[in-house]
Amino acid sequence: MKMKSMSKYFISALGCLSLLMSLNAQEVETEASDSIVVKEKYGLRLGADLSKITRSFLETDYMGFEINGDYRLLKRLYIAGELGSEKKTTTTNYLSSTAKGTYLKAGVDYNMYENWAGMENLIYSGLRFGFSNFNQTLNSYTIYDTNSLTWGQNEVVDTDSFSGLTSGWIEILLGLKTEVLNNLFIGLNMQIKARLFESEPDNFENIYIPGFGRTYDSGKFGIGFGYNISYLIPLYKKAR
Amino acid sequence: MKKQHLFLLLIALLQISCEKDDVCPATTQTTPRIIIEFYDIAAPDEIKAVPGLFAIGLDTNANEVPIYNELVSTRSSIALPLQNNSNQTQFKLYESYNPIDTPVSGNPDTITITYEIETVYVSRACGYINNFSIQTFSIASDNDQWMINSEILITTQVTNENEIHVKVLH
Repeated sequence: MKMKSMSKYFISALGCLSLLMSLNAQEVETEASDSIVVKEKYGLRLGADLSKITRSFLETDYMGFEINGDYRLLKRLYIAGELGSEKKTTTTNYLSSTAKGTYLKAGVDYNMYENWAGMENLIYSGLRFGFSNFNQTLNSYTIYDTNSLTWGQNEVVDTDSFSGLTSGWIEILLGLKTEVLNNLFIGLNMQIKARLFESEPDNFENIYIPGFGRTYDSGKFGIGFGYNISYLIPLYKKAR
Repeated sequence: MKKQHLFLLLIALLQISCEKDDVCPATTQTTPRIIIEFYDIAAPDEIKAVPGLFAIGLDTNANEVPIYNELVSTRSSIALPLQNNSNQTQFKLYESYNPIDTPVSGNPDTITITYEIETVYVSRACGYINNFSIQTFSIASDNDQWMINSEILITTQVTNENEIHVKVLH
């Protein structure tokens, strides 16, 4: 009986000790293996705009391609940019014109989203400066004449081409990027743009500016959309 | 919640993108017609209406072309559409035109207007309009000429129909 109680005491004491030791060991382990400190991936994300590729196939008057990239600089701040090429034919009742050119956009993205541990999604706002180098062709036009029923309308097909046109603009973005597979992101964004400068073709106007999109008679503003797929090349990890 | 806001904003932006400035508004200044006003040969400063005035266009092969919206009426001025694809347009102007008589009665005089065209950009929706610089205005002489003399009042460009471009004495 006595012996039994002794052994009981001993076992429980051993149990307590082992628990203590194990707790102690866990603490040591935590410091060593970083299982609580969450690290996030930093690197270069490269992608393409799927909407432009899709439109190129679906619309006969549009051809476009854009590659985009961002580099994570700080926890929430990314350097971002886009490089693209577009060709768009605009036809109205009285004229048809084709704009063709390349563009470059550069700026920053700021992630506004507070991720759960282990997730690295983005809801971001961004700022870009855009620059486009393009040319515009006036394919055809019909003289606007409400009295044309007398002599008849005739379409003037003279391919007047304006080359070496440039335009620059500022852009505010709002978008999201979700990691759907490891390092593979799908993103969606919209852009509000304001034209800073443009070279006006003589006796014509810029109807479409590659990168900026269509222009409006009402002013210097424009809008755009993007639907991106991108892949993150992780370069290093850093605690969040 | 944040995502919902984002999508609402996206939809709002899509609405903006559907803004239609691709339709040419009716108020846009169109390619102007040439405005001729008729004055009294005896008193060149006084406007004198032409009884039964009626105009018919003549194409390059001298075929008669009816002018859209042109009706016989006694008036002191007339608006004539010029051909946009030529530098010259001819018209037959009738005085005392009566289409009921057979053959039609009235006194036709043929006028020839030569002009230079300048094509001016308006907007994406309306495209271009033509403005004209009238070079010559001539009245073909015949035995029974009712238009005696003429004077081009607008020697610069004809850009609208609010002014008199040519003065004709009869």
